[in-house]
Amino acid sequence: MSSRSAFALLLGLCAGVVVLFLALPVVAIFVDSSPGALLASLCEEGALDALWLSLRCTAIATAIILVVGTPAAYLLATRSFRGRAAVITAIELPLVLPPAVAGIALLAALGPSGILGGAIEAAGIRLSLATAGVVVALVFVAAPFYVRQAIAAFGAVDRTLLDASRTLGVSEAGSFVRVMIPAAAPGLAAGTALALGRALGEFGATLMFAGSFQGITQTVPLAIYDRFATDFDAALALSAVLVAVSAAILLAVKLLARGEPLGGWGTR
Amino acid sequence: MAGCALLAAACGGDEGERPALVIAAAASLTEALEACAEEAGDGLGAELRFSFAGSDELAAQIRQGVPVDVFAAANTQLPDDLHAEGLLEEPVEFATNELVLAAAPGAGIGSFADAAQPGVVLVTGSESVPVGAYTEAALDRLPEAQAEAIRANVRSREPDVKGIVGKLTHGAADAGFVYATDVRAAGDQLRRIPLPERAQPVVALAAGVVSAARRPGLASRYVEGLTEGPCAEALADAGFGSP
Amino acid sequence: MLSLAARTTLGDVELDVELEVAPGECLALAGPSGAGKTSVLRVAAGLLRPRWGRVAAGERVWLDTERGVDVPPEERRCGYVFQDYALFPHLSAWRNVAYPLRRLPRGERRRRALELLERFGLAARADAHPATLSGGERQRVALARALALEPRLILLDEPLAALDARTRASAARELAAVLRESSVPAILVTHDFTEAAQLGDRVAVIDRGRIVQQGSPSELAAAPRSAFVADFTGAVVLAGTARPGGDGLTRVQLEGGGEVASTDPGEGPVWVSVYPWEITVEPAGEAPHGSAVNWVEAEVLTVTEVGNRVRLGLAGPQPLAAEVTAGSVERLALRPGARVVATWKATATRLVAH
Repeated sequence: MSSRSAFALLLGLCAGVVVLFLALPVVAIFVDSSPGALLASLCEEGALDALWLSLRCTAIATAIILVVGTPAAYLLATRSFRGRAAVITAIELPLVLPPAVAGIALLAALGPSGILGGAIEAAGIRLSLATAGVVVALVFVAAPFYVRQAIAAFGAVDRTLLDASRTLGVSEAGSFVRVMIPAAAPGLAAGTALALGRALGEFGATLMFAGSFQGITQTVPLAIYDRFATDFDAALALSAVLVAVSAAILLAVKLLARGEPLGGWGTR
Repeated sequence: MAGCALLAAACGGDEGERPALVIAAAASLTEALEACAEEAGDGLGAELRFSFAGSDELAAQIRQGVPVDVFAAANTQLPDDLHAEGLLEEPVEFATNELVLAAAPGAGIGSFADAAQPGVVLVTGSESVPVGAYTEAALDRLPEAQAEAIRANVRSREPDVKGIVGKLTHGAADAGFVYATDVRAAGDQLRRIPLPERAQPVVALAAGVVSAARRPGLASRYVEGLTEGPCAEALADAGFGSP
Repeated sequence: MLSLAARTTLGDVELDVELEVAPGECLALAGPSGAGKTSVLRVAAGLLRPRWGRVAAGERVWLDTERGVDVPPEERRCGYVFQDYALFPHLSAWRNVAYPLRRLPRGERRRRALELLERFGLAARADAHPATLSGGERQRVALARALALEPRLILLDEPLAALDARTRASAARELAAVLRESSVPAILVTHDFTEAAQLGDRVAVIDRGRIVQQGSPSELAAAPRSAFVADFTGAVVLAGTARPGGDGLTRVQLEGGGEVASTDPGEGPVWVSVYPWEITVEPAGEAPHGSAVNWVEAEVLTVTEVGNRVRLGLAGPQPLAAEVTAGSVERLALRPGARVVATWKATATRLVAH
């Protein structure tokens, strides 16, 4: 065997191992759970509550991330100022925080005895052990995934498009909406998919910061963990549902990004 | 070389030659079992490795075939279940505990009756963990109106005792149902409020040798050691009662 | 009338320009890259705010740094064709053109956009996205979009640079027609003097942030005020009308009198271009030899030393320039007022459609 075909074999082997290792556990979830058990576990009130809560909180968190994160990413991508690199690093830091650290950090900052705890309480907002706390935890862990991607997407858009739009009679704010966002849409969609996935699967920070209560703060991952010990089948079935919902969202976002008028054009 | 040897010794590396014994123990046993780990290990001539987590989670791991030698639970139900399933040898009760209401110092909880006041924020264990199951059992023995008022104040059902204590010490909740040993371990961060006597459930802790244990001999000697010797003393120091 | 004056720092170049462009006139701003040409357009459009500056379009003051006036680009109505056209990649050709028309009702917008595209022969490509358009098509869409606004000022940044040689000639013709019809001032930026001569009514040569000379293309070529302008202008450009000759050569009747031959094909109005170093100068009265040799009688206007050679500014039917050695200047006693015959070969004569 020539060294060249041996290398090709090695590449194929490694690719096979990667695919098998990553796909097998996911496949096992579906193999191990019977369709009947899956349905039964879905019809259980707690499971539906958790699913509904997860979808609601993820949707709200993603909306907040998009509305606030998109202009912020645009600013960071298009303006140069002293300390820009430091600001971007600070934004990206939650990416590498373990979930438990994220939970502790949120408690220390926004918890009842945290830095801003008093101010939040004075404003009449309750975050800990409340649905709002789940949303805060999801935004905290998922936003960096979107913002980071959005900075890269805006950075890749030709700046003269903005100039062109302005000479054509559209203000900078209008140009941002009508040109910069559509031109960056494929990147923004990819970032949204990442943030959605991260938010839907959030566990540690939610548990530590918001607690776990059916219908209020018990999202699907917490419900799975709650069932894991006592009812493994139910946990498995709920996991299958979560995987299916995540995959559907990922697929929808990808399709949305590919179809007109959001994506599919060349760089120029 | 000498530096490495020193480092290895400092890290307990010289125990590498001893057989390892894996003990899956309830999170509430953490302080007590760690306190007597060195002495117990020396006595057995083994290196003890602990896995502390919610008892239910540990039981589930044993069901999934995670290699463990000893299972020490925060109740008797889980070891009994595993024994019935043939996964655990005859379990032994080795300690008792007491369910109490733990109050955060800043919260205005002076007596057990205050837990039923509207607006009080309570946390309990999830029903799937022993502390949660005991709490439900205790509430069932209270007058229905009081039990309902207390249940209505519960804002989070935590997957283990550490979660409850954490919520209390961080001010997220006013009070929670935990074991007496947890209040003692938390020092002055928590105040202990006893449950009405008729509500107090029997909290017994049982341990057993896992059927698939790789070192059943050492494992059974460790379980025996929980009721006498250094570990029994450590349990008593932590506030556990003797069976 | 557009008047623009600006002083500002661009990297290591100090921009300091002052210029005026009359309605309907096209000023070609020519110079090497990095000279500050594009920055002048950006100041005019409001995309670059100079340290000090004044920009006024007729009565409207767009910028006056001393009085704190700075009208934003979106309110200046400049038809700006960017170097890479800057078409919006997510919009089809007609939507690109309709982009500035958002105040019109929807149906009206599409009608106006299609009208403009049709004018540039692009009606069939109205629904194509920029990525699928050819370079020439993109250039025309960009032009149509810039005109859709009915601009008060037309700004063209190297509008032909991104095109291949084949499309460039026809694009230049089209652009010249647009500029001829337009009644607003226009500034065209180019690094190519021939292009400047073709499209500009007047050429301003800019070097390291300063306008070093302004004038008609032939004036600049004939009487460069500096070696830089001489080098930069390169070719002499003459206007004329071409018709095919019987001998395979094209005959061009020059405006102002005289006829020259070229090996390039051509018919109708053309630009005749020839490099000064291709032109030789002989004393007046000597007969030219051979039909393939072009000759024009002229009077020496200027004698400029350019490095080791001398550029002669010649007044013929149209201004001309020739480059000769210092030796020839002495031998032929060339000084202002001397009568000469300028000759060059038909093979060195380029024709560009007008």
